[in-house]
Amino acid sequence: MSKNFLPEQYENDEKFSVQHNYLSQQFSDKDLILEKIKEVVTRGDFTLGREVDKLEESFARLVGAKHAIGVGSGTDAIFLSLRALDLQPGDEVITTSFTFYATIGAIVTAGGTPVFCDIEDDFNISVTRIKSLITEKTKAIVPVHWSGRPCEMNEMIEISEEFGIPIIEDACHSILAEYHGKKTGTFGITGCFSFHPLKNLNVWGDGGIITTNSDDMNLKIRLLRNHGLVDRDHCEVFAYNSRLDTIQAVVANHLLGKIEDITKARIAHADYLDKGLSHVSGIEIPQRNPEIKEVFHIYSFMAENRDSLWDFLRENGIDAKIHYPIPMHLQPAARYLNYKKGDFPVTERVANQTISLPVHEFVQLKDLDFMILKVKEFYSHD
Amino acid sequence: MIDIKVPFVNLAASYKNDAQAISAAIDEIGSSGQYILGAKVKKFEVEFASFIGTKFALGVANGSDALFLIMKALGIGPGDEVITQPNSFIASAWTIVATGATPVFCEVDETLGLDPKQLLKLITPRTKAVMPVHLTGNPTKMDEIEALLSGTGIEIIEDAAQAVGAKFNGKRVGSFGIAAMFSLHPLKNLGVIGDGGVITTDSDEMYDKIRKLRNHGLIDRDHCEIWGYNSRLDELQAAVASIRLHKLDENTCKVRKIAGKYSSELGHLVTLPKSYLGAEPVFHNFIIHTKNREALQSYLYEVGVETKVHYPVPIHLQECAESLGYKVGSFPISEYQSTNSLSLPIYPELTDEQVETVITEIKNFFRKDL
Repeated sequence: MSKNFLPEQYENDEKFSVQHNYLSQQFSDKDLILEKIKEVVTRGDFTLGREVDKLEESFARLVGAKHAIGVGSGTDAIFLSLRALDLQPGDEVITTSFTFYATIGAIVTAGGTPVFCDIEDDFNISVTRIKSLITEKTKAIVPVHWSGRPCEMNEMIEISEEFGIPIIEDACHSILAEYHGKKTGTFGITGCFSFHPLKNLNVWGDGGIITTNSDDMNLKIRLLRNHGLVDRDHCEVFAYNSRLDTIQAVVANHLLGKIEDITKARIAHADYLDKGLSHVSGIEIPQRNPEIKEVFHIYSFMAENRDSLWDFLRENGIDAKIHYPIPMHLQPAARYLNYKKGDFPVTERVANQTISLPVHEFVQLKDLDFMILKVKEFYSHD
Repeated sequence: MIDIKVPFVNLAASYKNDAQAISAAIDEIGSSGQYILGAKVKKFEVEFASFIGTKFALGVANGSDALFLIMKALGIGPGDEVITQPNSFIASAWTIVATGATPVFCEVDETLGLDPKQLLKLITPRTKAVMPVHLTGNPTKMDEIEALLSGTGIEIIEDAAQAVGAKFNGKRVGSFGIAAMFSLHPLKNLGVIGDGGVITTDSDEMYDKIRKLRNHGLIDRDHCEIWGYNSRLDELQAAVASIRLHKLDENTCKVRKIAGKYSSELGHLVTLPKSYLGAEPVFHNFIIHTKNREALQSYLYEVGVETKVHYPVPIHLQECAESLGYKVGSFPISEYQSTNSLSLPIYPELTDEQVETVITEIKNFFRKDL
């Protein structure tokens, strides 16, 4: 079990032959990055410098949004987006319980009350259930494109327009993912991306970026991320400090040139696992939809006897993970919201059965075959 | 084009001094794959706590977040009041607003610090904390503030953003209140190569709470005890901070020497920085006051000496503070400072020749002015 796992450290245990964490292999060409960082540091260009401008331009172009704004982290991207909507205490934000803590932390920090919505079998928010959760206090919908799979956006946008409630996309997993040919991060009033070291596009520390087509949101968020300053001496609004470091922008700019290939590799690996595992009884792979492009930040499926499978895979050197075993509405932090076990049956079933296998760009064909073999072996024992 | 002989800051020069050590650290961290809350942060936290003389230090994303997290850990929120000063950087106030509490400003004295004599009348049943700012690295009169608040349950949160290494009565600032914040912003005396901050505290309870709050409220990977934030010091920045911490005392000596020269040469022309007895300032800035501020600043710029004003508009008169209901005249001393203060260049890499230039040109200005 994971009792020795500290959230502050990455598990990079030599005992695994197929590792989840690939960071020590990823930067074999680090000299190119180091040269650039040296340039930046020698210039004394440390916050919001040229490299950040360059990244913001390229990222906006990559995603197909009008603006991109570099910020301190993916969490801050969601927080600042909600602050730009001027959320007031008591305002409600509809979101999914099947997400990482940061989605909810950002909503609560911004002054909002999270209102959870159950998910569908694709692990994403159940759009058909959203309508019934809307009240006079609903100020935003925060869908999470979980694991890099876009949510059902057409219907969600209809709801958003009908009720005049903006969508803030948690796209922290979903860089380059597409829904009906359009990239995530361009559907809502903002899209929120993370550059955390374990993300598909990662930097050497914390970082994030917000995309938006709204000039108004762009201006507001730029003020909010930098102390509310309109110039050095004038503060228009009490705000925050959440800036992407210039040296982290160097790393992100470097990887922007590779993100298409990284994504292709993940998709190919996921595809290979899909085929290899499709007929294994005991597991249930989410149905793939030809209208959407998933980018597999996480490759996960539903497994019977999940915890035993997890132990078995780890004993066999496969660093499988659970993302995540306890949904947000059942976390100790959510007690005050008065949800209970059974409130979201699909979410809870998925949390009990989901398991993730590594599909990053450094996973090799033999690793994929090995993982398929071991999953099959486990269920043949059964 | 004006030939800048004495730039106000020279970050590139300070980088040159540690270039090798820093490149080696970046190289090592880049290849290690350990980017967040790993061994380098741990090491820096231990070193920093021991340097300040507190039980704990916690690396966070920046100085503003440090203040915010301290207040959140104390449970400060809507309906509460926190007393701070109006002549500081805007973050001293917005972090209070960000918790939902109301900033209450206290007038300062000629040391630029919060005037303990003005403090008592501002305390209400809603006051949860007093946040003195050791502005320019000049320690506030901590003994009086401590005596005043002792037994009231009102906590002291030191804003030591500019004061790393400074002492009051032989004790480093950052070790007086329930917790203190330091900024590692590139322009600070202990600056990194991006954003960064540190919190110091002797309290086990504050340490535990802030450790969770800075990392999503997690007690382990799968359990979230309280909705938290994401505010972590990058490994990379922690490594740079460690490298520079070892040189901090040496650098402080250098800037004190420069401050000494300015003081002995300019005292008859301008008002010099003042400190309390027992205070050992570290001169993040060297702020003089003169009725001729605008003319002096323009003149110095013309002759290639860059100066700055910290800060021309006090917080209570900023647009963002309108709803707090202060007006021109609310804080005469702070307002006097904002119109008469001028910050001279001061940093370890400043050469003797550059210091001479600053002194000579200020003398020239007053000669012409007469």
